[in-house]
Amino acid sequence: MADDKIVTEDKKDGKKAERLPDVVHIRVSSPFKVYFDEDALSISAENETGPFDILPRHHNFITLLSACEIVVRTTQGDFRIQISGGIMHVKANQIVVFLNV
Amino acid sequence: MKRPQEIALEELNMSTIVGLTSAFESLASMKISQTKTQVLQSQAFFNELWHIYSQLRVDSLFRFGRGKSDNVVDKTLVIAVTAEGGFSGDIDQRLISTMLQEYDAKKHDIIIIGHHGALQLSQLHVQYLKYYKLPEKDDNINVQPLIQMIKQYQSTLVYYQSYESLTVQEIKRIELKSAVQTAGKQAGKNDEIISELTYIFEPSSFDVIAHLERSMVEITLSQVILDSKLAQYASRFRAMTAARERSTESVQELHILYNRTKRSIADERLKEILNGHRAGAAT
Repeated sequence: MADDKIVTEDKKDGKKAERLPDVVHIRVSSPFKVYFDEDALSISAENETGPFDILPRHHNFITLLSACEIVVRTTQGDFRIQISGGIMHVKANQIVVFLNV
Repeated sequence: MKRPQEIALEELNMSTIVGLTSAFESLASMKISQTKTQVLQSQAFFNELWHIYSQLRVDSLFRFGRGKSDNVVDKTLVIAVTAEGGFSGDIDQRLISTMLQEYDAKKHDIIIIGHHGALQLSQLHVQYLKYYKLPEKDDNINVQPLIQMIKQYQSTLVYYQSYESLTVQEIKRIELKSAVQTAGKQAGKNDEIISELTYIFEPSSFDVIAHLERSMVEITLSQVILDSKLAQYASRFRAMTAARERSTESVQELHILYNRTKRSIADERLKEILNGHRAGAAT
């Protein structure tokens, strides 16, 4: 990940500061297939309360997903997958979506 | 005695059988490799779910994802996974007889998977609760109808064919709950604790635990079905290997017979010519 760091000039003391890019690692898989496993900008899905988005550096979160279309936004475009349900685990800037069997 | 042309035709037919059995053998071998990869992949998926589950759970109770208020049948559900039929040898018969040794109609309800097993139970006049076809696909096996049944019972026993190697397939009996827990223990322990203090849960931690339990049972059942199919592919591979070896031997034998017959006809003609010459010289 070191290559992805953006180096910026700090105006006050002229020192260079490192800023992490706003990405989150997302993996979407079922027991027999990995559908997506890359860094992305955000993920949108639906749970019991309705549609929601997860952005980088989100708080630890576990939710049961309803039948919906998951949209993963990346710098190269959107990845979409229709699901019947699953579970999403968000921790330490990593999102894992376990799709139902 | 057969004519050489007839033997040559037979040899050609036999060579076609060698080609076919060889192709079936390769297909079975490819299926085995694909299915093994799927088993490994689903195991990795299971391990990840187990890690979350073990960080969430504070007791060792495994409820198969059922709610506290759900009524439970005071019987054991017995699931037998057999083949759909063809090339399965006697392994299904052995599986059914192993299952029936323990069977007690008052204590057990049977669910049979695979037509071959259902047929055998009917022949033995043993009643089963439900019959399901063995899934044709090797991925995304839908075990939901089984999970709905499992949730209603106190415990579940599964009898299936297990793949040990290409030459060895065994009959296995597992208690589903302990099988899930054993698989979980193999996944390793994670000392971290997931609680409502450090996590946001939607809808609630109890629902998440129930979902994880259901998912893990589903994966374990899918793996059992995959293992059964793997054993059946191995059995087919063995049958095809034996058929290919037998047909290759037949081709070789036919080829020798063809050469012998041709030589014998040539010898016969030579004899006739020589005899003709001798008869001519004598007169």
